[in-house]
Amino acid sequence: MSPSSWKSRLFRHETLLLLVLVAEWVFFYHYGTTTNRRGVVVGFGTLDRQFDILRHSCEIGLLALALTPVILTAGIDLSVGSLLGLCAILFGKLWHDGGLPVPFAAGLTLLIGAVAGGLNAGLITGLRLPPLIVTLGTYSLFRGLAEAITHGAITYTDFPAGFLFFGQERWLGLPTQAWLFAAVALGVWLLVHRSVFGRSFRAAGYAPEGARYAGLPVERRVALVYILAGVIAALAAIIYTARLGQAKADAGTGYELFAITAVVLGGTSIFGGSGSVTGTLLGVAAIAVLKSGLATLPAVIRLNAAEEIAGLLTGALLLFALAAGPLLRRLTTLLPRRSRSPQAR
Amino acid sequence: MSASDAPTPAHGAPAPLLKLERITKSYGGVRALRGVDFELAAGEVHALLGENGAGKSTLIKVATGAHAPDSGRITLGGRTLPALTPVLAQELGIACIYQQPALFPDLSVAENLGLRLERGGRCRRIRWGERRELASRLLARVGAGIDPAAEVRELSMPEQQLVEIACAVGAGAQIVIMDEPTASLTRREQESLFAVVRDLQAHGVGIVYISHRLEEIFALADRVTVLRDGESVGTRPIREHGQTLSEADLIRLMVGREVARLYPPAESVPGEVVLALQDVGCRASGVRQVSLEVRAGEILGLAGLVGAGRTELARLLFGLTPADSGQIRLNGQAVTLRSPREAIARGIAYVPEDRRRHGVILELPIEQNLTLAVHRRLFPGGWLRDGAERSLAEGFIERLGIKCAGPSHPVGTLSGGNQQKVSLGRWLATQPKVLILDEPTQGVDVGAKSEIHRIIRQLAKEGLAVILISSDLPEVLGMSGRIGVMRGGTLVATLPGGTEAPVVMAAALGQGGGK
Repeated sequence: MSPSSWKSRLFRHETLLLLVLVAEWVFFYHYGTTTNRRGVVVGFGTLDRQFDILRHSCEIGLLALALTPVILTAGIDLSVGSLLGLCAILFGKLWHDGGLPVPFAAGLTLLIGAVAGGLNAGLITGLRLPPLIVTLGTYSLFRGLAEAITHGAITYTDFPAGFLFFGQERWLGLPTQAWLFAAVALGVWLLVHRSVFGRSFRAAGYAPEGARYAGLPVERRVALVYILAGVIAALAAIIYTARLGQAKADAGTGYELFAITAVVLGGTSIFGGSGSVTGTLLGVAAIAVLKSGLATLPAVIRLNAAEEIAGLLTGALLLFALAAGPLLRRLTTLLPRRSRSPQAR
Repeated sequence: MSASDAPTPAHGAPAPLLKLERITKSYGGVRALRGVDFELAAGEVHALLGENGAGKSTLIKVATGAHAPDSGRITLGGRTLPALTPVLAQELGIACIYQQPALFPDLSVAENLGLRLERGGRCRRIRWGERRELASRLLARVGAGIDPAAEVRELSMPEQQLVEIACAVGAGAQIVIMDEPTASLTRREQESLFAVVRDLQAHGVGIVYISHRLEEIFALADRVTVLRDGESVGTRPIREHGQTLSEADLIRLMVGREVARLYPPAESVPGEVVLALQDVGCRASGVRQVSLEVRAGEILGLAGLVGAGRTELARLLFGLTPADSGQIRLNGQAVTLRSPREAIARGIAYVPEDRRRHGVILELPIEQNLTLAVHRRLFPGGWLRDGAERSLAEGFIERLGIKCAGPSHPVGTLSGGNQQKVSLGRWLATQPKVLILDEPTQGVDVGAKSEIHRIIRQLAKEGLAVILISSDLPEVLGMSGRIGVMRGGTLVATLPGGTEAPVVMAAALGQGGGK
């Protein structure tokens, strides 16, 4: 059984990304770990720092997982970051002002996420509006609603310790939210790679008309990915609130762009059809390690510009990852034909 | 090089305006033109006639300089041209009016005319007064009561065509090519178009007139050249020695005499009626009052010209553009077919015409394409089962003889014929009762074509009701037990198998024929 060419190409992209991730890790371990005056090891090479990276990547990671099926259908959802903010303050309001117990409020928040995702889905599949425009609209709408509800000033705090456990404590040795994240990642992986739904996402992404002619319910499938994105964004909002212990209207500002970057870095084609959940996870990790690692470099600390350099390097990494594919292909076409043909026997 | 080289036309007219000699043109491996001769005299309406795919469009593209011929000679007004480009063609006075006018919809009529006709540098003042005046003059000349200030998007299709003609007149075109100009016109609009054509003719303009409507050709043309399979099979004057060319002669020229006996003999005996349509129509797609029956084990051919409504009927049966009138019965039961999903569930399968866009998904592996329509049956519970998928795919690869390096390779890596087999296999996997094939052998090589024919025969023998849509007349005649002929969105004739090609073509063209 010979691996098909697209499979091996995907494999190569993920391998490449894994190598980048390992290189980042080794680099920061080497240059970002120091011993302070009291002889305590600080910086990148500590378990605390590693857990910190994990905690911080959960929310953007969840959004990236939400966006992977969306982008597979050749769509986009710019509203997930704003929806995170809206869900965070609605969750806070339901618990604080509504007096609902936390599990109840959380459940309702997930439902709100589904409804918000359903709004995107309805506009995109019902009215056939372009996803970019629809979610650009709801991107402003959701954030605006969040600001309006809080008047831009209210922050909900004083959540019970049992709730903060999900964002600040450990369970079975790992940060609690990492387990939630892993569960969602497994779920999305099963959906995308092992179910007929994932198959139809790809078909719709490659050729929506072709999928329709094959009798696939393209509209319903596409609607599903946006609704799912809404639910996952709501879950990210709850975890975010649990990590910071507060819910405010500007939660998750700009997260959608980091999430899209992670998905594309992970090898998912922005034109739809091809991509993988594993790639997305590697993309999230590569960005998270880069951001967190830079903050541990003495040179960067002295400059006090970790954020800026992280942005710069993330951009460079993304462009490199995007250019690598076409460049490799161009190189292989320059080589003798023999090297491109599938296995001889 | 001089005009005296050219043989003088019989009626002693001066050298022709346009002369195409032994033009050949291939696209990939397909030979669209294999040595066409064509000649246009000043003040002449010369009709160009031929079946779908006979090479008319390619010939126009060569004459307007859009495509360079592979070989042959183009002579314009006595001058042999080594190479014709669209710009040069325009300068030399060749204008082409397409079925779909290529005007800017958001600009006014005057602006559209100005853009095409005004000369001068990039930086110059627009003289709006002159522009408007030119536009009104040209529009008056072609007898169009159109306001020059109107936006083109507000104009009807025939009005837009008139703007195009005005443009050709304004450019001082000596040769005007009209590609099915009346396809979207009403009777009255046709008459006024004819008046314009005759007026141009009186001014010495040569007109190449392409149309499927024989009555127009007889009303308008001086001569007619018939193309068949990329060759010019004859040029005839419409009226000679007081006698009019007969329609029958013209049709015989179009279809040729011999229908090659390349087709496998029919082995099946039609059984029960599987699909029956009674006055079925769909306003949106223009299908009207179609009544037909297809039996198990029967191949019903559907012949007709492009735009006759055959694909539209297929889309109706597959639930893509559902019927809004009439009754559809499957195995005697009245059914509705409102979506492909419903049609599939009822046992209807449709192998679409546009293989690369609709028939297969090029980027997906062969096995995934083959199972795309049977997810529910193959993957109960919704979870993929690689083993089941692989064995189904391998079964079809063997049964249909799909030549590939393995089931996990993308369909895009296959040849056209093998892609078509994948498209066919996907639908056979649904175990249909009715199989609709839309141009199943278009763009596939000869070998794959006869394999596909053999497969279709085999399927009919196994009891499938097959509807075969094809513009390849010999294919329809050779494969079908009965032949339905469509024209203008409806079934105009049902002919028995073995009907002569000219009779079928006559029905498709609307020249009596049929019962």
